[in-house]
Amino acid sequence: MHGYCIAVRLEQMSQGVFRLNAGSLFVAVQRLQRDGLIRGEWKATENSRRAKYYALTEKGQKRLNSETREWGRQVAAIARILEA
Amino acid sequence: MSLLRSISDGLRSLFRKEQVNEELDEELNGFLEMAAEEKMKQGMSRKDALRAVRLERGTLEITKEVVRSAGWESSLETLWQDLRFATRMLGKNPGFTAAAVLAIALGVGINVGIFSVLNGAALRLLPIPRAEEVVSIDQIFHGRVTRNAHNGPSMFSYSEYLDYRDHNHVFSGLLAYEPFVEATLGGGTMRGLSGALATCNYFDVLGEHPVQGRGFLESDCATPGGNAVVVISDDLWRGTFASDPSLVGKRIILNRTAYIVVGIAPPGFKGTEPIPSSFWAPITMQKALDPWSDRIADDNLSWLALLGRVQRGTTMEQVRGDLAVIAGRIDQLHPGRTTSLAVRTATFFNRQMEREILTPVVSVILAAFGLVLLVACANVANLLLARASVRQKEIALRLSIGASRWRLVRQLLTESLLLSLTGGALGSLLAFWSFTSITRLIISHLPHEAATLIVNVAPDFRVLAYALGLTVFTGIAFGLIPALQSSRQDLNTALKEDGIQRSGGREGGRFLRSALVGTQVAVCTILLLATGLLLRGLYYAQTLDPGFEMKGVATMFLNLGQQGYTEKRGTAFMASLQQRISGLPGVVEVAHAECAPLSHDFSADAFTVSGRVEKIGIEYNHVSPEYFSVVGIPIVRGRGFRPGETHDSPGVVVTESTARRLWPDEDPLAKTLRESSGREYSVIGVARDAQVAHLGDAHTTYLYFPAGTPDNLRAYVLVRYAGDFPATAKAIRDVVQSLDAETPADVIKLEDYLEVWRMPSRIVAALSGALGALALLLASIGVYGVVSYSVSRRVHEIGVRMALGADGSEIMNLVLRQAMRPVLVGGLVGVAGCAAVSQVLSGMLFCLSAHDPVAFISVPLFLLAVALLASYVPARGALRVDPMVALRYE
Repeated sequence: MHGYCIAVRLEQMSQGVFRLNAGSLFVAVQRLQRDGLIRGEWKATENSRRAKYYALTEKGQKRLNSETREWGRQVAAIARILEA
Repeated sequence: MSLLRSISDGLRSLFRKEQVNEELDEELNGFLEMAAEEKMKQGMSRKDALRAVRLERGTLEITKEVVRSAGWESSLETLWQDLRFATRMLGKNPGFTAAAVLAIALGVGINVGIFSVLNGAALRLLPIPRAEEVVSIDQIFHGRVTRNAHNGPSMFSYSEYLDYRDHNHVFSGLLAYEPFVEATLGGGTMRGLSGALATCNYFDVLGEHPVQGRGFLESDCATPGGNAVVVISDDLWRGTFASDPSLVGKRIILNRTAYIVVGIAPPGFKGTEPIPSSFWAPITMQKALDPWSDRIADDNLSWLALLGRVQRGTTMEQVRGDLAVIAGRIDQLHPGRTTSLAVRTATFFNRQMEREILTPVVSVILAAFGLVLLVACANVANLLLARASVRQKEIALRLSIGASRWRLVRQLLTESLLLSLTGGALGSLLAFWSFTSITRLIISHLPHEAATLIVNVAPDFRVLAYALGLTVFTGIAFGLIPALQSSRQDLNTALKEDGIQRSGGREGGRFLRSALVGTQVAVCTILLLATGLLLRGLYYAQTLDPGFEMKGVATMFLNLGQQGYTEKRGTAFMASLQQRISGLPGVVEVAHAECAPLSHDFSADAFTVSGRVEKIGIEYNHVSPEYFSVVGIPIVRGRGFRPGETHDSPGVVVTESTARRLWPDEDPLAKTLRESSGREYSVIGVARDAQVAHLGDAHTTYLYFPAGTPDNLRAYVLVRYAGDFPATAKAIRDVVQSLDAETPADVIKLEDYLEVWRMPSRIVAALSGALGALALLLASIGVYGVVSYSVSRRVHEIGVRMALGADGSEIMNLVLRQAMRPVLVGGLVGVAGCAAVSQVLSGMLFCLSAHDPVAFISVPLFLLAVALLASYVPARGALRVDPMVALRYE
């Protein structure tokens, strides 16, 4: 998925809550790339434009899983606290 | 892994900047284009779409900047930019740069130089293989202590050494030695040598194996007095024995005993003390070298220094713990006493006492040199401040187009660090290059005894670290204040050309500059005033009357006991010596004494006056009957000693001060005095006060006892002569030679002892004088710079004043008054500071009055005159201001 695609997908999925500007997005992408969690590759888009496509690496996938679990735990905990 | 990738990515963007930039460009452009296309699909025009995207997602350039500065490489890049810019800025002002670099080079240079000397003397490890493994051990006693000391109170007795050697579990070897053993080399070339008595593992533990012959074997130390073998130093072999290739195996004479030379120490090995050792003899030969004392048998005598080589893998804590167990066991034999051990990696100065003296002296020296660096820093800071106001516009511009204050400070600091690094490097290079030769020069001018101090001033990592630390500190010290000052400003006024000169905001800058000048003047005052006080002290010492007749007396120290004389032979020798010297032409009278006046030889005991309990420590001397007339001390009451009076006689002569102190308002004659052994003496005479023991101190208590047989074995012979000194000295030497060709006779003038007392003052005066002159030079440049700067900035104001009718002298007054205000304040602070310093100095150096009025008035006046001159010269520039030109200036 290339940069714009990521931004649009995040926006759609969050139903407009997360609207990323280019600065935040690409700083994050650069950091993830340097940490070896994603890798980028230049490819042609469907509109025959060149764009850099990013994909999770194996390490990134593992990290995503663990972070998701952790996030789930925290959100559940906070929810429980708020409900109580 | 990710760290590696981060580094490689960072490096890639540093070195393949173009490509990385292009990629980022393309990616971001693509992003924005795609966003715009989306909008255009919804029916916007391309222009509106792009605008909307910019608003929603940010513009291309700012995003690029944000992304780029997120990586670590960007701060490196900024640094590089700053450096390049700083280099350009400094290059543009070669005059300023040269002045600043020179000031820093001077300041850092002398500090690094003095540090490398101190490092060489006191911090550097011993020049032996794997020196970091070798530790020195000192013992410090607490509680009830009755202990005799031969060299230092923290040293060990032989039995203690054996205890530590045999029962420790941490050393691969532990050695002991007695330093500074004096011996006379006999056999044709008579020479006094300083050497050491060492245990037979000495060379093995130190890892210094003689190149010729061998070191000591265990068997050399097997029987006391049994093995007269010696290892001599390479210097002695090359010098006195002219590199005789067959010397090993031959005999040399030390204190009348023949020793076989078994080895010659490797070149460069001079022992482990600051004074080089010429020979090493087995410790078991102690009694042969000094027949009148048996140190090995004395379990309560401190005389041996201990060095141990720690086993590999053993920590310092383990060493301390292990040795403390042994110390605790020894303490059990001495109820009421506890011993703590000081274990440290061995250097040339190990002993507790030496370190206690060294530390304050070193701190004072470093502080004095540091003051000069402070003055240099203040100078550069002033230059920077002055320049910062010239760069006001540049800085204001940067601030107004969005540079953060931190970014500006960082850039200004880069500039000052670049300055200080250049100066520091230059100064350090100069120091490394010049201090080796300067040290050699100074050492060659010291009196003979100190002439052979081992000082290796070559730079090592410690010196380099000190130089670097000092340089960086300097850069920040002089750079930070101007940087903070100039980056804080009111943009509106600064951007208007006019604002620079009149804005009230610059008041802060002027105050800072004045404060810096004040500091410089204060430091200068302290250094120069100290010099002035010391010079006055020296002058006083030159003209001082010590209370006895110093001129026309020759003196000679004879240690017959060490030469193996018995009391009977010694007494006979002294009798015929005195008789024959008295018969020499030009000799008026001969005396001998246990201590010659001012010879740094002291004896003291605790005395009690009968009928009282308090004990008074009093110094004393044993003198022959002729002593008082030879050194010209009159007996003011009672009588002196008569021939035939000896140690057994009950009479004592006291000084006037002693009489006043012990028996105020009473007749001292026939009063009794008890020494610590319980023996009583009665006063037979009162001698006039004289500074015989401590120069500059006439009113101490002092006693004279009659000389007896023991004094014949160790005595100063004092000869009053009427002719010229060289002839008399030669005649005296000839008499000694004719009586015993093997006894060394060194005849000097009694006045020569005075020189030893004066030397510390002389050295400190020279040092603080040189530093003071340097500081004065820097400070006057500072004053000059500040005044000429302020004149140049106030051309407009002066022009207005002149146009309104002010005349030259009024303008001059105005400028000078302003220039001299910080000078006066600084001078006052300096005088107050020096009053405090001189209290300390007067305790350390003799004849120094802490409040000498001549010094305290003349030095500040001199400084004031210099400062006035330094401000007058640039102030004259103000008079040449043409009002028309000045008003048209803008």
